[in-house]
Amino acid sequence: MLRYLTIFGTFVRACLVRDLTFRANFILECLTSLGWMSMNLAFYLLVFTFTPEIGRDTGWTREPFFAFVATGMIINSIVQALFMPSAEELTELVRTGGLDAVLVKPLDAQFLLSMHRVDFSACANGLVGVCLLAWAVGRFETPPPAAAWAVYPLLLLCGVAILYALVIMLAAATIHLGRNQSLYDFWFYLTNFSRYPAEIYSGPWGSPLRALCTFVIPILLVVNVPARAITQPLTGAAWWAVGGTVCAAVAALVVSRVVFQRSLARYRSASS
Amino acid sequence: MHNATGAVGDAEPVIRVTGLAKEYRVFDKPEGLLASVRALFRRRSRTVEAVRGVDLEVARGEFVALLGPNGAGKTTLLKMLSGIITPTRGTATVLGHVPWERADDFRRRFALVMGQRNQLWWDLPAAESFRLHQEIYRLDPARFARTRDELVDLLGVRKLILQPVRELSLGERMKLELVAALLHEPEVLFLDEPTIGLDVVAQHTIHAFLRHVQAERQMTVILTTHYMKDVAALCERLVVITGGEILYDGSLAEIVDRFTTHKIVTLDLDAEPDPARIARLGFPCEVRGPRVVLRIDRARIADALPELLRDSGVLDVSVEDVPLEEIVAGLFRSADRRSQPAEASR
Repeated sequence: MLRYLTIFGTFVRACLVRDLTFRANFILECLTSLGWMSMNLAFYLLVFTFTPEIGRDTGWTREPFFAFVATGMIINSIVQALFMPSAEELTELVRTGGLDAVLVKPLDAQFLLSMHRVDFSACANGLVGVCLLAWAVGRFETPPPAAAWAVYPLLLLCGVAILYALVIMLAAATIHLGRNQSLYDFWFYLTNFSRYPAEIYSGPWGSPLRALCTFVIPILLVVNVPARAITQPLTGAAWWAVGGTVCAAVAALVVSRVVFQRSLARYRSASS
Repeated sequence: MHNATGAVGDAEPVIRVTGLAKEYRVFDKPEGLLASVRALFRRRSRTVEAVRGVDLEVARGEFVALLGPNGAGKTTLLKMLSGIITPTRGTATVLGHVPWERADDFRRRFALVMGQRNQLWWDLPAAESFRLHQEIYRLDPARFARTRDELVDLLGVRKLILQPVRELSLGERMKLELVAALLHEPEVLFLDEPTIGLDVVAQHTIHAFLRHVQAERQMTVILTTHYMKDVAALCERLVVITGGEILYDGSLAEIVDRFTTHKIVTLDLDAEPDPARIARLGFPCEVRGPRVVLRIDRARIADALPELLRDSGVLDVSVEDVPLEEIVAGLFRSADRRSQPAEASR
């Protein structure tokens, strides 16, 4: 474990050195990312000039909703910073045969392939998310209880784990397809569902979608459960949701591991 | 015999391959829009046999060249031996391990260098990649520093290790790739066209380096290449593979004896020879100005030479074997001719 941490530390250091080498590119990426996030926040502020709450009696008034958005920003920025660049590069490694060099290293290939690139510009969104969360929680009528603060980091980790599992399974599809340039697009469409409160998925179309995105592809648990834990009272049902999210995260990691290993066994390499 | 840790006794072959085969299913891409649309629903596929039942044994400390035309199956064989791909049939052990099980203990003991692929971090100095290797292979810091310094000095690249890899020439990059591959002191080294695209000086440096390191460490090396200079400079054993099958496995000297019947005799004459003089030589020849190149049967060479030298106009003479390129190209062509009727009848 310590060895893997040390190696990850080397990856982090190398990526930082590279980002500092191309400073202008790094700053531009940070600004692009922050600009996109600012536009989203402005849009939500605009929505709250028309309505005090999203849905009736859902509890998603302005500050809790911004705590929800902040939670999403933190989880997404972790995934974007730690896993997404490596997953995107995997498609290129498979196409060009660069994966060969990874498979001969005495190291877990999934670790090496999913964590060898770190995108520091994505951390900017995470920092904004933390500030937004602090601002929103500071304006709550009742501050979150200690239990909520205790489970919140755990649920953030579960959210990251579920998204990581999805990323790695999508990336593993590259090994079968040989080329998967739509990885990022598909990821964006899929995770788009997790960016909104689960309550909006109701009615004849919404309810089946909510069931699908909770029990089959558990992306609705990613932001909703941690955000609900910090913004609303931890009742019995909330604890069930916490337990369910932990189980879903473990199951997602196990399934993604199996899928990835099986994909690697079918790797054909590319012609030299 | 193999022990529990996968160690191999000195007498045991380091690499043992039996009936190894690899088949690929490839999809044909039809021409034209309509055919492409049709192919969306029904694709035509066929099976390609990249490697067909190869048997091979390599002893510790051997330097073996794997030769073959493009698409012969050399790199596929190398990829199976290094565990990158899984064979369709057959068995193989390298250092007592089944390669495609990808055991860490196995992967710590070999290295693979591919001339057409870059394994170093592109935007960073090679020193950063070396440091990563140290951590991946859990190398003792003092030993790592000693090995790294020794290798960079042997290749004369000490000044380059702090320069971003993307700024280096192809030859410089390949030297640093070799340093990275040898840092963990592998027992087996797979080299896939390591001198491709390099200039003569870089080729010579790499030959000298590989010879030195292989002899010093008693490393087992398998080299695939298209350059006969690599083979002549480095290898004693030659394995020729065509159409996924081994056509020849033996020493360099033996391939010359077995597949050639004549020697090349070059005469430098005092003047361009006239047809009558050429006819007097009595052997098939090629005239290049005052230089005449003769192909003389090996059995007749001892008798023929004094006769040729009796011609007072001979200024210089050299006797050589048929170039390796020519022998190997002849082998490739004969294998190709043999495979064509077989393919046509399929």
